[in-house]
Amino acid sequence: MMDTKRLEKILNEDGIVFLTYGGFLTQSLIVGMTEALEKESENAEISKKTSNNIFTIFIELSQNMMNYSKSHQQGDLKFDPKGMIVVGKNTRDRYYVLSQNIIAIEDKNNIEPKLQEILATDLDGVKKLYKEARRSGKHSHSKGGGIGLYEVAKRCSSIKYDFEAINSDKFYFKFKAVL
Amino acid sequence: MENLTIEATQYTPEIKLDASNGSISLVGKSYPENTFEFYKPMMEWLEEYFNGNAKEKTILNMEIIYFNSSSSKLFFDLFDVLDEAKDSQNIEVNWIYDEDNESALEAGEDFVDDFEDLTINLVVKA
Repeated sequence: MMDTKRLEKILNEDGIVFLTYGGFLTQSLIVGMTEALEKESENAEISKKTSNNIFTIFIELSQNMMNYSKSHQQGDLKFDPKGMIVVGKNTRDRYYVLSQNIIAIEDKNNIEPKLQEILATDLDGVKKLYKEARRSGKHSHSKGGGIGLYEVAKRCSSIKYDFEAINSDKFYFKFKAVL
Repeated sequence: MENLTIEATQYTPEIKLDASNGSISLVGKSYPENTFEFYKPMMEWLEEYFNGNAKEKTILNMEIIYFNSSSSKLFFDLFDVLDEAKDSQNIEVNWIYDEDNESALEAGEDFVDDFEDLTINLVVKA
């Protein structure tokens, strides 16, 4: 019999976990999970501002992972298309959204400068980056990957990220947004 | 010109395009899987509308609760279409938001900033 007490302990070690999922991400799953988060927010009486930010960050990160898997389905059959996402509240009463998926080195090289740029600036700086990127990408529809990170960063108080090498081509990309 | 209505879903807004009285309305949430595909009928309708079918006054009412970043880009493109038409048309936008939905207010303010020459009213939902 699975030790569910152990699983519960892990889930609750860093505060409370509202939602956790690890597997194939689809649009209907994301919609269902967003609705579960909406109910959770009502229950927990979270402010509209915070809860809308939680939903938006959650949707952004999970759809990013879904789109990434979709666009990497051909070719490398050993590429793990699953994603992991966690929404919770930490011991300092701050809500967070955590995501992890496997990405190729080209994509790491693409995202990393953006993340460094975000970390190097403040909220107003991020808002400027967001508006500039949105304005300039007028005729491109690259599934929002362009401004998604800024969308997340401007709705939380801090972001953290890490790239853990699996081999020379693949990395675990871990990302955490704390509201 | 035909009117077009698209029913809301849990993750896409209700879209009502009325050529007979020049009213466009979007109400709900926006996080479709493929944003470009979802809004294509609306964008094509608007192109036809502003290509000789526009009424004396066109009003866009937008009431979006929350939206993903690709929707944000799409809305920017939508405002761009209106901005391009405004010199020859009378266009007004109402960005409607719930009083305690700060991020919706902020999103509206961003559009006001980016489209200084468009009439965009930030309206608290009654």
